[in-house]
Amino acid sequence: MSQPILQVKDLKTQFFTDDGVVQAVDGVSFDLHPGETLGIVGESGCGKSVTALSILRLVQEPGRIVNGQILFRGNDLVSMPEDDVRDIRGKDIAMIFQDPLSSLNPVLRVGFQISEAIGAHERISSGAASERAVKLLKQVRIPAAETRVRDYPHQFSGGMRQRAMIAMALANNPAILIADEPTTALDVTVQAQILELLRDLNEDLKTAIILITHNMGVVAGLCSRVIVMYAGRIVEEGPVERIFKNPQHPYTWSLLQSMPRVDSDRSKRLLSIEGLPPDLIAPPRGCRFHPRCQFKIQRCMTDDPPLMEVGPDQEAACWVTMGRALKKNGTQDA
Amino acid sequence: MAITAPVTAAEIEQTITREQVSLWADAWRRLRRNRLALAAFVYLALLALVAIVAIFYTPYPMAHQGVAVPYSSISSSHLLGADAQGRDILSRLMIGAQISLIVGVGTQVVVLAVGLPLGLLAGYYRGWFDSVLSFLINVFYGIPNLLVALILVVLIGRSSLGVIIFAIAITGWMDMARLVRGQTLSLREREFVEAARSTGARPSKIIFKHILPNALGPVIVQATFGVPQAILFEAFLSFLGLGVPPPAPSWGSMASDGIAAMRISPHIVLAPAIALSLTLMAFNFLGDGLRDALDPRQKR
Repeated sequence: MSQPILQVKDLKTQFFTDDGVVQAVDGVSFDLHPGETLGIVGESGCGKSVTALSILRLVQEPGRIVNGQILFRGNDLVSMPEDDVRDIRGKDIAMIFQDPLSSLNPVLRVGFQISEAIGAHERISSGAASERAVKLLKQVRIPAAETRVRDYPHQFSGGMRQRAMIAMALANNPAILIADEPTTALDVTVQAQILELLRDLNEDLKTAIILITHNMGVVAGLCSRVIVMYAGRIVEEGPVERIFKNPQHPYTWSLLQSMPRVDSDRSKRLLSIEGLPPDLIAPPRGCRFHPRCQFKIQRCMTDDPPLMEVGPDQEAACWVTMGRALKKNGTQDA
Repeated sequence: MAITAPVTAAEIEQTITREQVSLWADAWRRLRRNRLALAAFVYLALLALVAIVAIFYTPYPMAHQGVAVPYSSISSSHLLGADAQGRDILSRLMIGAQISLIVGVGTQVVVLAVGLPLGLLAGYYRGWFDSVLSFLINVFYGIPNLLVALILVVLIGRSSLGVIIFAIAITGWMDMARLVRGQTLSLREREFVEAARSTGARPSKIIFKHILPNALGPVIVQATFGVPQAILFEAFLSFLGLGVPPPAPSWGSMASDGIAAMRISPHIVLAPAIALSLTLMAFNFLGDGLRDALDPRQKR
């Protein structure tokens, strides 16, 4: 396989609040290859968004990256001067956010905002920039792009706003696009369109995509590889088909069981994961998932499991793993 | 049931494209619907016109004594009568409008020039600069503005338009800085600022292109309300004899001149007093109208 374009190594991002130090991201490592689509899934507060913000060094006070390296084409973003990181933001690594309405400046025309994103990284006349803005809007399939560039964000529908955000992110043809919950604020039909758009962009432009979401279905629709995060850590990682067919971490398994599926038995109730995600100021000893885990053994409460190979290209951080747990319980599914 | 004709591409185009309304055009439309604010706007436009005309033309030279019989009342040759020295009141009122507007607007220009950048910097960067600025503002808040201005004018000794503007602005910028700082503090946390940051925008771009335009509504309202305050302040200083030096006719000093003869010739006091009241009212109504028009929550 090719050289990874992005390598995150033992990343730790913490928030220094009055109540204590929140260990939002605690030792996360992963690689992203050129043109790859990687999904990061997990509940709210599991550290997936903070991981994304850390990559672009956008974590705000009182948050700080306290450890680790983020190598983009071999250069460490963590130790890089702010000016150099700014050159990479938007140009090499771009980002789109969850709520497309609040991510667009309400008092500036959409086209102007896209032109600004272009102008941040190259010297370009305003005329040429707005021509490019029209092209970009066409590329993300905004109808009547020539007139729509002059619209304000409030004149766009939710889906169009997200398309405009994507256009802005694509303005400088980035190598990596980080999409933080890009479909969460949208209608289901529009969600599908946006995912399709992202898939096409990945295929046509070979842009690597990191998709952050809490929705397993969205991951299945777009990603080739998936990382499951829980309480600031990676608990499972692997190719999307393997994770879906054969999840090894109880948390991943529960997430999939809690998802409604068309082909499943309707009389069976959906699984809900009991309890709440742990307090990241004082996370539980041992495996962070053990208080909510129905398969836990004695060791889970004392020893922190590392990521271990559980199948071809698949890793999970669990002492038990689902393969064994289900055999023991005699459950049929999985 | 009627069968609807297939929609042509042209028709779709037509429904998709519609008038491009900017937020400012929208605000202007709402302002026009507010009768009182519109009347105030028209009055102020006329006042500004009078002030400009007065540069080139007044019925009589404003400082010439004895162009009319002292204390003479309203007549066809002196539309607003004459004062104790026989000077034409209308001519003096016109020059007075100039002074009032220069002080009012000039003060706000200084207030904006100082308060806007300081507020933006303090709100965006926070840190020690914000602490020092906020501390300074809080200390000065304890001292009445009027007192500061009075002391300043007395200290400088010689009064002029520039001194008066300076004396009013030296306390006035703090309200503006505080407002802008507050706006900036809340705007910098908005997602579109983070989005701009994620595209690699420089802090100067973020401050001036993304934060400032969003803060402009309240700033305009505040500046509009600041104008009548400054005008009143100047009139007050002139009334006390600390304003623009004679024979320049400030509305305040004109009223002060007429006080002695108020019983027999009330028009000498009334003319500047009414002009002053109308102007103050107009600015306040306009400010109110602007506040409503620029309020994003009032989408109508």
